[in-house]
Amino acid sequence: MRKPNETKLLNEKTIEENVLTSRDYKYGFYTDIATDRIPKGLSEETIHLICDKKKEPDWMREWRLKAYRHWKTMAEPHWPNFKYGPIDYQGVSYYSAPKKVKAAGAGPKSMTEVDPELVKAFEKLGIPLSEQKRLSGVAVDAVFDSVSVGTTHQAELAKHGVIFCSMTEAIRHHGDLVKKYMGSVVPYSDNFFAALNAAVFSDGSFCYIPKGVMCPLELSTYFRINAAESGQFERTLIVAEEGSYVSYLEGCTAPMRDENQLHAAVVELIALDDAQIKYSTVQNWYSGDKEGRGGIYNFVTKRGKCLGRRSKISWTQVEAGAAITWKYPSCILQGDESVGEFYSVALTNHRMQADTGTKMIHIGKKTRSTVVSKGISTDESNNNYRGLIKILPSADGARNFSQCDSMLVGNKCSANTFPYIEVRNSTAVMEHEASTSKISAEQVFYLKSRGLDMEEAVSLIINGFCKEVFKELPMEFAVEAVRLLEMKLGGSVG
Amino acid sequence: MEQLDALTGPLAKETSPGWLRQTRQAGLARFRQLGIPTVKDEEWKYTNLAPLTAYRYAPAARSALSPAQRKDILDRCVSKGDLNIVFVNGALDKELSSFGKIAGGVEILPLRDAVENDPAPLQEIWARYDPQKDSAFVALNKALTQEGIYIHIKDKTIADQVIHVVHVTQAAGEQIAAFPHTFIRLDRSSEATVLETHAGLNDESIYFADPVTDILIGENATLHYSKAQKESLKAFHMGTTRVWQKRDSTFDGFSLAAGGAIARNNLDIVLDGEGASAILNGLYSVYQEQLVDNHTSVDHRVPNATSNQLYKGVLNDAARAVFNGKIFVRPAAQKTNSYQLNKNLLLGKDCRVDTKPQLEIFADDVKCTHGATIGQLDEDELFYLQARCISRKDAVRLLTQGFVDDLIGKIPGESIRRRISRLLAPTIEALG
Repeated sequence: MRKPNETKLLNEKTIEENVLTSRDYKYGFYTDIATDRIPKGLSEETIHLICDKKKEPDWMREWRLKAYRHWKTMAEPHWPNFKYGPIDYQGVSYYSAPKKVKAAGAGPKSMTEVDPELVKAFEKLGIPLSEQKRLSGVAVDAVFDSVSVGTTHQAELAKHGVIFCSMTEAIRHHGDLVKKYMGSVVPYSDNFFAALNAAVFSDGSFCYIPKGVMCPLELSTYFRINAAESGQFERTLIVAEEGSYVSYLEGCTAPMRDENQLHAAVVELIALDDAQIKYSTVQNWYSGDKEGRGGIYNFVTKRGKCLGRRSKISWTQVEAGAAITWKYPSCILQGDESVGEFYSVALTNHRMQADTGTKMIHIGKKTRSTVVSKGISTDESNNNYRGLIKILPSADGARNFSQCDSMLVGNKCSANTFPYIEVRNSTAVMEHEASTSKISAEQVFYLKSRGLDMEEAVSLIINGFCKEVFKELPMEFAVEAVRLLEMKLGGSVG
Repeated sequence: MEQLDALTGPLAKETSPGWLRQTRQAGLARFRQLGIPTVKDEEWKYTNLAPLTAYRYAPAARSALSPAQRKDILDRCVSKGDLNIVFVNGALDKELSSFGKIAGGVEILPLRDAVENDPAPLQEIWARYDPQKDSAFVALNKALTQEGIYIHIKDKTIADQVIHVVHVTQAAGEQIAAFPHTFIRLDRSSEATVLETHAGLNDESIYFADPVTDILIGENATLHYSKAQKESLKAFHMGTTRVWQKRDSTFDGFSLAAGGAIARNNLDIVLDGEGASAILNGLYSVYQEQLVDNHTSVDHRVPNATSNQLYKGVLNDAARAVFNGKIFVRPAAQKTNSYQLNKNLLLGKDCRVDTKPQLEIFADDVKCTHGATIGQLDEDELFYLQARCISRKDAVRLLTQGFVDDLIGKIPGESIRRRISRLLAPTIEALG
């Protein structure tokens, strides 16, 4: 513990120190690895090239082309409460894969075949892939730039009938399932970035939990952007059959660079009767430097459909990175008595901007939803909560509870809330509350008088502020999230 | 915009003083630029104005009222003890009004006279707002306002009497449009109570009211301001009240929205002096297929100001309510306290509520909260009353009355409270 006389007031630490602290972003390294990439630019050619590389069936090719043609008719949206520079869609390479990965979904049969450089890179990120070291309770699909480099524990999962593999593999081996569900929650025409993703997505994860199966492991995908002048466009599809349960985690990082890289992903979840999907994200893309140079544009469409009766989808997210985060993990509560949940912590520092929240669309009878969102903004960042609670006339007895709290640290940041509440059924009951405040001086004083320094005190208070969300995360992730938050706040406070 | 041709046409021939003519032309240009808002406009996302544009509007013909009509207006809209300013179909009716017995320190002038005597105070109030940010209906009012009233409370004056500005519309046949403008100016350490009533005498008449009220509250002054709006069931009301508050001033506001095919009430408060406080309470009660839309905006520009909002709504039948409350806290506005709550009671089968409380905060040392609830009457409470031999219908009325009573209790001024309760009575009576 530091001596008390070393403690500093809020925001007193210089920005230089802030940037120099090693804690700032330890995932900012670049792995120098031979890559197989297609030339920059986007046209129908590009799509054919991606399809050829991945040896995709014709229906997939058709779907991509349809999406691309639709995308061309759409305009880049600029309605959110942040500004982003022009994105040069022709200046990006839409496919970049490490050379030694066996292409075309043949995927390495065992993890021993994966390029040791890649294994090393993932180890450095804290994701051990090799047989001996890997975490026992978690199956990992590791996605490096445009492709999945390997998926662990596949054999063990197969024993239970669970399919967990890269999207490329899924399209080849489980085409009928993919064909049935892909685009059923987020159609390619949904929005500008979803259309772009549908046209050029290069990989992602696919999970299928058969009827009545409790998935024995936590499934997870780790996304890593490595190559420059590229983007990451992955697509995740999770289908939970009747009475099944799955918990899925995703993590993501990228090297530090001065350019803005686009990450436009799509996630679709489908829960049938009595099924439950728990989806957790710890997002730590590179967020740019103190001046706001570089960082990832994280423009993601995530949506789950509670198709079956009594199904449940729960989103938990910790958003701590990316220059701009723009996403609204949503639930379409179609099945009667289905349940949607959204727990979020969004932390912004430097000049990060976040416009995030959720949409809960109540269609079925007695559907319920809970929204808990915590925003923390520091430095010169801008943190927005934007949510929609929509209760349609068919949703008799629908119930919603929303709570969004913001905490401001420093006087150059801003926090905004834009909750949209649309109720068209008179039997619905909903409550919404929101608050914005700064860290209470009394609480800080109390902790400091007990020997904690400023930074520890603030960290402890913020931890408490976020606890409601963290307790929803699986254990390892919760620990990780707490550490991530401390790391991020380290420069801003204390 | 051809719906308004009959109104905008004569503008070119205007003979008013130069600055007023300029304001009118600027207002018209701004309105032409904006047009009538559509649902694509974020501010009008939930309120579709298509019904408003379905008619052509004409200026009100100045017809003499029959003695029976006069008596009707006096009985229904005017209380004896108040200072009454009565507009009928958009025109000031001096006979029905009672400016005669004004106490010292209070100045009430028809807008035309105020413009001719000394336009400086009016110009000062208007100069505070950027005309390029005026909404379409404020711009339209500026372009077309002919009649209005200027109320001035001088330094250290406490006006005892309630000042009651009544806008009565009783159009028959033609669809008329009215654009009254009210100025209220309170100088240092003064206090006044103002009630603004907008009423239609006949529930079938179709008309368009676009009133704007500009209020400037000086240092340490207090204004108790209520706006009661119960237009005809087929009328359109697009009202705006803008309040500018100086240091240590208090705005104690209440708004009742109880009628109109589409009734929109904008209330914009600028807290521009430390220690200023604003209370914005509102009640809306609608039935059949009416739509009531309340937009409030509180702009905290300086430190140490507070604002407090409570809006409650009762919806019956297929009525719709829209609420949008914005709170802006500018970077300088440290130590701001701001509260906002919107509660909705859904009693009808097909009613619909769209609410959007909104916080935009750029300062860190603040306390801001907002909340919204939507729900029904508690079945247990209804059962309790029914078990005590109160019919379900009466039980619904009693509980609804209870829901609105705490707000009614906060209305400044006993006579205003009685008047507003009376306006509200028919909608409560219709419940169950």
